[in-house]
Amino acid sequence: MITNLVNILMGGVFHAAILFLVAAGLQVVFGVQKIFNLACGSFYALGAYTGVSAVGYFTGHGGPPALFIVPLALGGLAVGLIGVVVERGLLRFVYDRDETFQLLLTFALVLMLEDLIRMTWGTAPVSTGGLYLNYGQARILGATVPVYNLIVIAASLAIALGIGWLLSRTVFGRIIRASADNREMAEALGVDMRWVYVRVFTLGTMLGTLGGALVIPATAAMSEMGIELIVEAFAVVVIGGLGSMRGAFVGALVVGILRSVAISVYPELEMLLIYLIVIAVLLWRPRGLFGAAAA
Amino acid sequence: MILEAREIRKLYGAYVALDGVSLSIREGEFVSIIGPNGAGKSTLINVLTGVLEPSAGTVRFQGKDIGGIGTVALTRLGMARSFQLVQIFPELTVLETLQAATVSRLGRGARLFASLAGDSQVQAGALEVASLFGLSDKAHALARELPQGDKKLLDVASAFALRPEIILLDEPTSGVSTADKHAIMEILVGAAKRIGLRAIIQVEHDMDIVFGYSDRIIALHQGKVLADATPAEIEADARVVDMVVGRRRH
Amino acid sequence: MLLPVAAPTYYVTLMLPFMAYGVVLFGLNLLFGYTGLVSFGHALFIGIGAYTGAVLTTHLGVRHMELILPAAALAAAVVAAPVGALCVRYVKIYFGMLTLAFGMVFYTFLLKFYKLTGGDEGMRMLRPYLLGSEWTGFSKTAYLVGPYYYFSLAVLVLATLLMWRIVRSPFGLCLKTIRDNPLKAESLGVSVPRYRWYAFMISAIYAAVGGALLATPTGNVDPTLVYWTHSGNIVFMVLLGGFSSFFGPLLGAFVFIFLQDTVMSVFPYWRLIFGAVLAFIVIFAPGGLLGLFGRRRPVEVSRA
Repeated sequence: MITNLVNILMGGVFHAAILFLVAAGLQVVFGVQKIFNLACGSFYALGAYTGVSAVGYFTGHGGPPALFIVPLALGGLAVGLIGVVVERGLLRFVYDRDETFQLLLTFALVLMLEDLIRMTWGTAPVSTGGLYLNYGQARILGATVPVYNLIVIAASLAIALGIGWLLSRTVFGRIIRASADNREMAEALGVDMRWVYVRVFTLGTMLGTLGGALVIPATAAMSEMGIELIVEAFAVVVIGGLGSMRGAFVGALVVGILRSVAISVYPELEMLLIYLIVIAVLLWRPRGLFGAAAA
Repeated sequence: MILEAREIRKLYGAYVALDGVSLSIREGEFVSIIGPNGAGKSTLINVLTGVLEPSAGTVRFQGKDIGGIGTVALTRLGMARSFQLVQIFPELTVLETLQAATVSRLGRGARLFASLAGDSQVQAGALEVASLFGLSDKAHALARELPQGDKKLLDVASAFALRPEIILLDEPTSGVSTADKHAIMEILVGAAKRIGLRAIIQVEHDMDIVFGYSDRIIALHQGKVLADATPAEIEADARVVDMVVGRRRH
Repeated sequence: MLLPVAAPTYYVTLMLPFMAYGVVLFGLNLLFGYTGLVSFGHALFIGIGAYTGAVLTTHLGVRHMELILPAAALAAAVVAAPVGALCVRYVKIYFGMLTLAFGMVFYTFLLKFYKLTGGDEGMRMLRPYLLGSEWTGFSKTAYLVGPYYYFSLAVLVLATLLMWRIVRSPFGLCLKTIRDNPLKAESLGVSVPRYRWYAFMISAIYAAVGGALLATPTGNVDPTLVYWTHSGNIVFMVLLGGFSSFFGPLLGAFVFIFLQDTVMSVFPYWRLIFGAVLAFIVIFAPGGLLGLFGRRRPVEVSRA
């Protein structure tokens, strides 16, 4: 009984750790640029596939399997730099436009990235195989949990704290918060918005690609993973509140754990329960748990 | 008495926006509400037009309590308003704007399959208002392409097209050049007579306009009615003159 | 209209989804171009129409298309009434999010409750009777490029005429006022939530009728019809043709279907091309194809 619970909980928290990374990326972009990036799931997928390739290259060239997490994470982070290209090349043209057009542009990105991934890696799932077992298993209250999962959870937590520190203690963080609050004011105070936007967007992208890379050992990279994840990430930010980091954290935990519970109790429910909660939140408290007052 | 407000209080948390405001508007009157920013004019307008429910006190329109009933219901009862920041339908023409108001007046908004162009009553009603406001030659111009003064006129004209009993104008000449202000007011008053408006309430800052057209002036200050009298009496009231930062009329 | 006689069969069969999407898009544009609401879950209603067709033909023995289409319309109205009532109180991104969520709820329902819905394999839709006849002598292709083609065409023409009346009616004018300035619309006595609700329901009905038309040629309906990306694609189609003009959606459906077919025959990665096209339109030509020739260049979808 306890074992079951721990399994469910650990599974949920692992999923939440990944979700948090993607959702954090979504939130920081929405908070500052007021754009809901539908393509965050696609970046997640991109990170996943790149991670697999990076690990494959690493081990193929004699890298010790035990260190596979290094190329995985680095690969995930590196491909996130594509955010610079996306922001400068596409997104910046629509900052002064209607929300609808911004959303549709990110949808265009979803389409393009989906096929770019297919072109590069094909349609068959790819994975890192059993590499993650290299880190062994841990026993927690009778349940068996891969140590890899614990590493990811710890890493995600560290990143969460890192983001918190970034936002509250660094100059860049303050600029982010100021721009999110009042863009014109920030500009009037001398902040170069272009500089901020490209960095914020790239940060968001990198969080997403990292999340994708880190999840790979536990699952496999599949062609639909991008468009599937966006709806979960979307649930996270609605429940947590658009634009809020704390919201991303709590929302991710809620969605991750609920999903884990639902899968084991009543598989048909799974995402259905989550979407119903999303609808309920949008109807009763549109700003979610921590979001700013809704328009 | 057409419109009556009794002891209106409106609180936003601890902030008292309106503190016991009473006023009444009678048949045939043109009443101006004046006061500095922060005096509570916007709040008062929103209470009088059913947008806000008063924290205390009542607002009655033709005897009926209209506290917080909302703009749509109020329009049905016969009160219309125009806005301080001009509100138009950018992608509609002048004529279409007036047609929309006429459609609403005639209660034909739910007609899905009827032809708008073929509805002679709507067409006639819209054209009539257009000519009252001197917009006939611009009937097919897009609202967003009109000069600012015409946009203001359209905002007011569309409210008039509802043929309300009483109309509330929120700074009808703001944002309009001094040269055009009187022209607009003349058109407005002329149109009001023609459609049989029973009373006009306006909020205005421009004292020339206020003194030039009002039967009565209500001066609002810090949520209270400071004075409620004829222009001559107001002119002589030192408190009001002070409040309006010493602007005198010759 | 002489197409089935004059053109190669392949292209004629391609006209079928075009016509079905045409109907869907007329409805969607009532919501988008005329009322200013962008739904990211409209495929929900396409699915309702399609599954109505499947359920009626396969499980309930009702094969007459003349009954199936009204049934699809009714099913859509029944669902759109509560869903719409909830959604129309929100605007812009919140409306988009709510509709997306509802769409995905339906998707999950269709996918997971496989005993009822056939799960990811979906449900079959049997050949519907047109004008009372099963057209037994006709092979599948002959049926599709013959009687079914003309039937679809008739439905499209009827749908077009109806929508033409609607947008030129007093009701249509009220919708435009809501799109342009909801505050002012209210001050003129137009109840904004109520009219948006009407528009929502009408557009849902159109989507369902289109959905039923869409399902017949393939003979199978499955949950992917309702996935959020399908909703995104139909918004794309409307934007492509031009949402500010009446025939824009029709053009958008046509270009999308035929361009997709053309691209796919040379290059499997049509999404890459289409994504680029969409990006181009959003950045340089938001008025879509018809907007390039029209007098108005839309900067916004609505002022809500």
